[in-house]
Amino acid sequence: MTNPTKLSTHDLNVFYDEKQAINNISMAIESNKVTSFIGPSGCGKSTFLRCFNRMNDVIPACRVEGQIMMGDQNINDPKLDPVLLRARVGMVFQKPNPFPKSIFENVAYGPRIHGLVSSKSETADVVEDSLKRSGLWNEVYDRLHDPATGLSGGQQQRLCIARAIAVSPEVLLMDEPCSALDPIATTIIENLINELQERYTIIIVTHSMQQAARVSQNTAYFHLGHLIEYGATKEIFTNPADPQTEAYISGKIG
Amino acid sequence: MSNPIKDMSTDERLHLISVSLNKRHRKEKQLKLAGLAAITLAIGFLVVLMTNIFSNGYTALLQSEVRIDINVPKAEILGADGAIDIQKSQAFNWNGLVKKSFRAGFPDVKGMSDRRMLNDLVSENAGYELRQAIEKDPSLIDQSSFWVKTSDDVDMLLKGRIKTTLPEKLRRIKDSQLVWINQLEQKNDLRKVFNTAFFTNADSREPESAGILGAIVGSAMVLMITIIIALPLAVMAAIYLEYFAPPGRLTDFIEVNINNLASVPSIVFGLLGLAIFLGFFNMPRSAPLVGGMVLALMTLPTIIIATRASIRAVPTSIRDAALGVGASRMQAALDHVLPLAAPGILTGTIIGIAQALGETAPLIMIGMVAFIVDVPTSVTDPATALPVQIFIWSDSAERAFYERSSLAIMVLLIFLISMNLLAVFLRKRFEKRW
Repeated sequence: MTNPTKLSTHDLNVFYDEKQAINNISMAIESNKVTSFIGPSGCGKSTFLRCFNRMNDVIPACRVEGQIMMGDQNINDPKLDPVLLRARVGMVFQKPNPFPKSIFENVAYGPRIHGLVSSKSETADVVEDSLKRSGLWNEVYDRLHDPATGLSGGQQQRLCIARAIAVSPEVLLMDEPCSALDPIATTIIENLINELQERYTIIIVTHSMQQAARVSQNTAYFHLGHLIEYGATKEIFTNPADPQTEAYISGKIG
Repeated sequence: MSNPIKDMSTDERLHLISVSLNKRHRKEKQLKLAGLAAITLAIGFLVVLMTNIFSNGYTALLQSEVRIDINVPKAEILGADGAIDIQKSQAFNWNGLVKKSFRAGFPDVKGMSDRRMLNDLVSENAGYELRQAIEKDPSLIDQSSFWVKTSDDVDMLLKGRIKTTLPEKLRRIKDSQLVWINQLEQKNDLRKVFNTAFFTNADSREPESAGILGAIVGSAMVLMITIIIALPLAVMAAIYLEYFAPPGRLTDFIEVNINNLASVPSIVFGLLGLAIFLGFFNMPRSAPLVGGMVLALMTLPTIIIATRASIRAVPTSIRDAALGVGASRMQAALDHVLPLAAPGILTGTIIGIAQALGETAPLIMIGMVAFIVDVPTSVTDPATALPVQIFIWSDSAERAFYERSSLAIMVLLIFLISMNLLAVFLRKRFEKRW
């Protein structure tokens, strides 16, 4: 069963100065599914992920060419305000990066700056719901005003997810969200991803083949800036069409 | 429980965001404008200041000279062997010779006061400088005409700094002198040349002979002493505080006091130098040695703070890596952390030193404000420093000193700017990325 397309790239090229990091990638991301990007380090999957909410804008040497469509909006349109885009495409980073403020403030910041809440009780509702959806509420409900930096790594990462979903984005980008976490925290976050999928389109970059197999419905394999193979996760892992993909999945390269 | 954001439709949500976005754009624009205005204002003042200093000072680069026909009486200067006899030369009235030769060009001028006014057109130091020139190059003795410096008043007049429209009483150049200057000009006996004396002499009573070399050498000696004392002390203090000091009340107390020391007015350090170094240890007055010690005390906290900040900026992972292979704490600090912190330490040091270079008050307290005509040759010789020299000149009555103080400010600024450029260069050169 295929869902409608949420995001699609058309002949996307990314350069760092003269070095090309992404070569002519065209692909479509299905909505309300989890798509995982796999591939060896330096293959460009993180760079590619960061194109979807224009995080590459802040890197001066980085140049993006081509189209990324979300609905009828071209994300690469220089007239598009990246702030508006990032309210629709949220991001969770590799290392948990909570603000050095209270747990409550971390989650409330996004809705507040976007003007999505108009009263204290509304803010509290949003914070509570976001923390519940990220599975953190039961652990922190009695210390919402403690510093977020006092949480464990896995809790911090779930807080970052709560912060990202507080503004109800349509797409959630996750850049190796579990690479700094222990297996228990990883399991919690993977379950969370499965639940979030109902409402969001999720793209996740991962180094763990098992994780890709567990959480995603679609998988894309990248190598040296090229998209080698893209399809249903089951298909890719059981019957890869490309020998490179097969070698990577079976642990022969990468 | 309801989540108001989750319950909104996408369109509603986007509408709210774009409304808030407009507000944010407006604020961003205001902030940008305010920042731009602040920078424009700062640059505007800087331009006004620089223009003022430059327009007052650039004329000091030139010095007026007058040509006088002088026949040096060889018999009174040369010894029996035909070479210059220093003793005879010393006894000879050179200044009288210059003045007499100058007056010979104006045979009509009679009477004591007129003759004195005529004498006043030539520098008081002209005779001394002529003697110096001839003793240095005896072949000049056969020359029949010499260019000698005019007095500072004539110099100011020729540079347009004395208004001839003023009533005679308010002018330093009188009407009769104006006539003579006019005659000299018509005979092409006046010229302006590059003011080398400014860069090769120390201070002088006569502005036309006053130079800045003494102050530059004095400043250089002071800074040398400052660096020799402050840099090793400060770096070691910082390393100790960062790595070895046991955490506790005493360490906290020291830390607080170092921070306080950085904000103590510089004149207090001058008083300290006066009381301790001069009063108690009886060190020489006006000496760069004492000046350097006082400024070292002043710079010490600045460098300690900069060094600690740059040591802290080195990620702990580097230190952990060194400790992990079994390095001692000192080896980790010296082999790995310090080299990475070096650019920051250097920058902090240079900024501290640049601050010391511009410092006047403490030097005045220890007597470096004296009138000193010799270029110092050792750190215990009496000397002045650049900012103090500027202070002395700006306080003088002669217009020509005013002009020279502006030029001296330009020299000081050039030194400061080059030190800051050096700091930038060193930072770029030694910066390592991790």
